[in-house]
Amino acid sequence: MDPFVLLGLSRRPLLSDDEIGSAYRKLAGESHPDQSGGDAGRFRELGEAAAILHDPARRLRQLSGSSSGSLLPPEAAQLFPRIATILQQADNLIEKQVATSNPLAKALLLAPLKNLSADLDSTLNQLQEWRILLDQELAEIDVRWPEHDPNPISLLADSYAYANRWESQLRERRLAMESLSG
Amino acid sequence: MIAGIDLGTTNSLIGVYESGFPTLLADSEGRRLIPSVVFYPENGTPVVGSEGLRMQALHPERSVSSVKRLIGRRFGEEETKKLNGPTGTPVTLPINGQNLTPEQVSAEILKKLKAVAEERLGTAVDRAVITVPAYFNDAQRAATRRAGELAGFVVERILSEPTAAALAYGLDRLQENSKVAVYDFGGGTFDLSILRLDNGVFQVLSTHGDTSLGGDDLDEAIAGLLLRDARITTLTPEMKVRLKEASRAAKELLSNEESTIVRLPFMEGSKSLEIPLARAQIESACEPIIAKTRAHCLRALEDAGLKAEELDQIILVGGSTRMPLVQRLAAEIFGKQPNLSQHPDEAVALGAVLQGAILEGSLQNVALLDVTPLSLGIETFGGLMNVIIPRNTTIPAKAGEMFTNAVAGQSGMKIIVLQGERELAGDNWSLGSFEILFPPSPKGTARVGVQFSIDADGILQVLARDTATGSEKIVEIQSAVEVSDEAVEAMLSGSLEHAFEDMDARIFTEARLKAEEMLPAVKAALEQIGSELPESEILEIRERSSEVQAALESKETVRLKQALAALDNATQTLATRLLEKAMG
Repeated sequence: MDPFVLLGLSRRPLLSDDEIGSAYRKLAGESHPDQSGGDAGRFRELGEAAAILHDPARRLRQLSGSSSGSLLPPEAAQLFPRIATILQQADNLIEKQVATSNPLAKALLLAPLKNLSADLDSTLNQLQEWRILLDQELAEIDVRWPEHDPNPISLLADSYAYANRWESQLRERRLAMESLSG
Repeated sequence: MIAGIDLGTTNSLIGVYESGFPTLLADSEGRRLIPSVVFYPENGTPVVGSEGLRMQALHPERSVSSVKRLIGRRFGEEETKKLNGPTGTPVTLPINGQNLTPEQVSAEILKKLKAVAEERLGTAVDRAVITVPAYFNDAQRAATRRAGELAGFVVERILSEPTAAALAYGLDRLQENSKVAVYDFGGGTFDLSILRLDNGVFQVLSTHGDTSLGGDDLDEAIAGLLLRDARITTLTPEMKVRLKEASRAAKELLSNEESTIVRLPFMEGSKSLEIPLARAQIESACEPIIAKTRAHCLRALEDAGLKAEELDQIILVGGSTRMPLVQRLAAEIFGKQPNLSQHPDEAVALGAVLQGAILEGSLQNVALLDVTPLSLGIETFGGLMNVIIPRNTTIPAKAGEMFTNAVAGQSGMKIIVLQGERELAGDNWSLGSFEILFPPSPKGTARVGVQFSIDADGILQVLARDTATGSEKIVEIQSAVEVSDEAVEAMLSGSLEHAFEDMDARIFTEARLKAEEMLPAVKAALEQIGSELPESEILEIRERSSEVQAALESKETVRLKQALAALDNATQTLATRLLEKAMG
């Protein structure tokens, strides 16, 4: 079933997390199986619909009807080598730090951890800048909506998918490093 | 009527919803807090509560406290290390020549609560909502449910504690729209849940925690502090109980006072102890333990997609949050003063009562949308975990997976079900396995659909679906370790025979690994900042290093361990300098 219809939201590219969240909470609260007249099936469908709409990549694919991963956006191609390298470095360093038990060896690893953490932050910033551009593009498409060209929409969806995945991978490493040094 | 129960590590409570209000019920002596201690007399029925607590000091070997830390656990896990039993089998406790399960012990506590409620209300109380730490896994939740059933309850819901506390907090703020964190630091467990409150809907966004981190650990740290000054020769179980009680009492007192004197008359023979203790002392002993909560808070924020400053309230519940240091650390982690409006011991029980009222329909327009704390998945070819339902998915939740035969004529396949966040299957908790059967057919054509569902209690059910008829059947999950008694015996005797010869070799290997890590680290550290150290210190470090090298070659375990300890000692300043430099 169409996630926009299910949550009673208008079918358009730009929806805020708050709009989606409050529509979801209202309807899910009513259909939760604990409530009289609750409906477990509908409750689950609402959850799935909200998950799709919260993710701009999946939301745009709903609108364009395109499937995932058909195109490699040029910005993604440009960012990829840096992100792959830094993820690998982070994994190696985290693994070393976890395996180390004595304080001296741990202290030796702190300086490289700190350097890498700075690299991680600057890469995250770069991703965030890209994301701002994507959000601008999304807003422009939304202004012209429902008039649209399907190609840029599916390219935008793919861009969001890369940006989201990389951001969460980088943040994951940063969290791991923070809890190691903190 | 559905009772609400907080089955705590240290204390338990029961309450009901009466004429529109949640009420907690007191025992005949007027106490709502029932100590979660069970004493088993040689004959007769178990004694629970404050009477049990008194008996524990006299007969620790026939008493059980903090059983919540063992429920749903297996031998060989960190939490069960003080107990002996075949690794991987469900844990049991030897009491009066019987092996009791933690469920049985918990059931005694629940029976006591049931009796308290029935006496107060004058009617039968046989339906209940029971709370568990949010981070409890499937086995721990299922075992708690069984304990409730053993006590004669129909268990209407297993509810997460921080969610319950949020409900108690939010009840008189139903019109509000806010984001809150519940920092629940109890006697044995820690949880951090982040919720969105929106017009009567309580949506859990994320949860994280540690089911072996609580006030018990703080008491032990304080006991260690007391013991350091006590000069006790042998510590008997009775002395341990007294020491722990005294530590807890001192901890509680020092939440309000700056210093105290711990008095333990006739601790060892005629020897009495009088140890002065200051708040600052217990704070420095407890700080590393409390600091562990930080990583869980950061993780939950990350999973909720929120920054600390976006939260409206940090609600503290659980007895351990009475400690000023805990309040300070919570304030530091979230960058704002925590909300202390909830009763630390009672909020969870009140929330359980409210959930009962929702279920029986007497509390309307309030809904709880809770999540599963741990990812659920299956082991794939190559020993990896394939996530089927990710953590923080709203429950009840369902996900289907289609299985097919890899070769022609394959009759079935074994599916191992896992819970946890690690990439390698073996690092996660194994819930057990089940077999699916394929009809004879060419490669890749047999199809069996399996549906994994997590119910509102957070407990897994697996359904196999016949794709042709659409009929569903519940699949029994075999516990991961269905080992026969003889097999267990064999495993045990085998390992005992080898235990002694293995021991020395193992200790030497451990020491060797440490030395191999240490020597290059010392060398690298000296190269980096050796010039900043006084000549005498460098000389000492060099000497100690050569001694480790020599001990390593001599293959003498004791000598190597001593040499390592000496080197560790000699390099302390070096390590501190490095740390300072890195922190810049």
